[in-house]
Amino acid sequence: MNGGPHGPPPDIPIAGVNPRARMPVQLRPDPASTVEKDMKTTLSAMVLALAATGAYAEGHQTPVTIEFAYPYSHLFDITYESILQRFNEDHPHITVEFRATYENYEDGTNTILREAVAGELPDVTMQGLNRQAILVERGIARPLTDFIAATEDFELNGYHQAMLDLGTFNGEVHGLPFSVSLPVSYYNMETMALAGYDETNLPTTWDEVIGACEALNAAGVDNPIFWGWNITGNWFLQALMWSQNAPTMIGNDFQIDTPEGLVALDTMHSIFRGCNMQNLEWDAALQSFAAGDVGMMFWSTSAVGAVERNMGDFTLMTNEFPGITADGPMGLPAGGNSAMLVSTSEDPAELEAAWLWLTYITSGEGAADVARTTGYMPPNQAANEIILADFYEENPNKATAVRQVGLLREWQAYPGDNGLAATQVIYDYLEGIVIGDYDDMEALQQELAEEVQDLMPADG
Amino acid sequence: MSNEAIVAAPQARVSTGEVVKHVVLILGALVVLLPFYVMVSYSLKAPAELMQNTGGFFGSQLPFLDDRCVLLGGAEADCMVNPTVYNYTSAFREAPLLRYLLNGVIVTASIFLIQVIVALPCAYALAKLRFWGRDAVFGLVLFCLLIPVHAIALPLYIILAQLGLTNSYAALIVPWTISAFGIFLMRQFFMTVPDDLIDAARMDGMSEYSIVWNVMLPTAIPALLAFAIFSIVAHWNDYFWPRIVITGDRSLFTPPLGLREFRGDADGSNFGPMMASAVVIVTPLIVAFLLMQRRFIEGITLSGMK
Repeated sequence: MNGGPHGPPPDIPIAGVNPRARMPVQLRPDPASTVEKDMKTTLSAMVLALAATGAYAEGHQTPVTIEFAYPYSHLFDITYESILQRFNEDHPHITVEFRATYENYEDGTNTILREAVAGELPDVTMQGLNRQAILVERGIARPLTDFIAATEDFELNGYHQAMLDLGTFNGEVHGLPFSVSLPVSYYNMETMALAGYDETNLPTTWDEVIGACEALNAAGVDNPIFWGWNITGNWFLQALMWSQNAPTMIGNDFQIDTPEGLVALDTMHSIFRGCNMQNLEWDAALQSFAAGDVGMMFWSTSAVGAVERNMGDFTLMTNEFPGITADGPMGLPAGGNSAMLVSTSEDPAELEAAWLWLTYITSGEGAADVARTTGYMPPNQAANEIILADFYEENPNKATAVRQVGLLREWQAYPGDNGLAATQVIYDYLEGIVIGDYDDMEALQQELAEEVQDLMPADG
Repeated sequence: MSNEAIVAAPQARVSTGEVVKHVVLILGALVVLLPFYVMVSYSLKAPAELMQNTGGFFGSQLPFLDDRCVLLGGAEADCMVNPTVYNYTSAFREAPLLRYLLNGVIVTASIFLIQVIVALPCAYALAKLRFWGRDAVFGLVLFCLLIPVHAIALPLYIILAQLGLTNSYAALIVPWTISAFGIFLMRQFFMTVPDDLIDAARMDGMSEYSIVWNVMLPTAIPALLAFAIFSIVAHWNDYFWPRIVITGDRSLFTPPLGLREFRGDADGSNFGPMMASAVVIVTPLIVAFLLMQRRFIEGITLSGMK
């Protein structure tokens, strides 16, 4: 690939970390921790590498402008503003222009597909993790392999394999995950106390959750639970599949017709029926938990900030997502978004600037800003373990997702042109379970499998 | 439906039929007004009150902690804000609403002006001039009324992109400048204008264009006002088309696009400032409608109903 049309210039400096910036790293004075020892070594290596590459960075001062677009301005404006401030100080010759933000992930994908037709693509775009595949299939997102190869000590910046896997397609990295969310449990500890629960005996399996529902019902709580089946792209169905270490899609085959698929449907059915769960919209669900009406909510960690900000007078505690067995989930789908290079430029200086920005936001202080300003966590190991160690101690509700980071699995897309239609079919069936239209899960499994499989591209 | 009731109480000063009518109308009005009530109420309350559904219509108006301000390095004491002030200032600060309002005025005014310049001569020709194929042309105008904009949005976008016009005022204005509805509405109105008026003008030596602008236009003011309301409301409130063609430069946003600045979906939207923006966006329309209400209804009955 080197020297190909996408080949980067050979002298790309390590991005994301600036040679002149002070290292704003806070190590706790606890020499016993091996992780920290490792990290200290890593850091010294990083500093050395930076000193070595600093000379390159100084040489490139021709002004460059890159264009950048991202979704959800309400959530991320503040994050990018604070990253941009730092970035401008470190790389004064690069101007990052923010385009109009995308309304949500689907809008982001639509916009990029439209701009590709019109020839107006930005240089870097943030895309939902389950929407990356289509941009790779259409050849809009450029592979990052050569850039990574040309970057010395890339993995020392905290890019670990599980993180890179989320953006890897056809064996090549195309996206660097920026903000990641995982399913977690939210508990209203005062309500839980009514049924005799405290932080030592919170449920760890779905059976125990149903038991807790019954106990809460007996204690006079009408509406004990909300379980986020309706989060976009059937995220929670995939969570139950990955909990058993089973993917939801293998190639073009929808995996609901497997034994694991049946377990997933049965688990949902018994949660909804056993807990008498009401069918609520997103906003209404968040609202009723914040108002203290619901005792347990199973939802994305990304809403922790919004809930903490708006909740009534009760104690919020987040905890690990329950598992189907007592061992807990074997995997969980990562939500969130990832940075992709979609530049159509062949100018090495512009590509280098885009690569610098890509890595700046996904590592070091840039990645740390994600946790500081949103409910998401940065998938970057170095950012989580070193820069943010104190932060998580002060914000234990945001640390739950970090404890689950080893479970990160791909948030799978339904392939082909009918991907969104397949999502909707599954959504409608799941809603049918919630409102009590379906009680025979084996029949439902058959129906769902056939209807979704019809929408998938034929193999070969 | 209320015959029996009237027979039963012939002396009642308020007839049952009238009462039923008014009850139905009042209920209808309540249904229509409820969203506005919620919008105004939400624009006055603090986020916590919105989430917990407390505080009644006005909320407690107690200051709350703006955590965005804290994140940006403010001291907690300096970051206590009044909910109403916070909602409206956020609407103008985070979404530069003044800029969006200005764009909205430029875009809707340009669209309406050009629509009138195109539609009046067309409508005049279709109503008052005899030429071969006139009915067929009018048939095509009616056919155009049947095409939903969403069906042709992508081809339009691609044409604009190839002309290099996306992300510009032109992209917002040009596709709407020929209004089939405007031509239809004005043609129906001109049909009711007596031919004698036009013949008299011709005998006085006026050119056809002069007739359009100096004779027909003044008679058509009520119909034009009705059309103005339709056109301006549609394009002022349009979310779909600006969203398609404005992908680059935020400073070209029209007012409705400002609402999305506060969406967060599963992570919690910021409804206070969002509803404050909505109040700011709809107020000019409501004021304009109230001022022109009588003319508006006149225009509809003059043209549309005939």
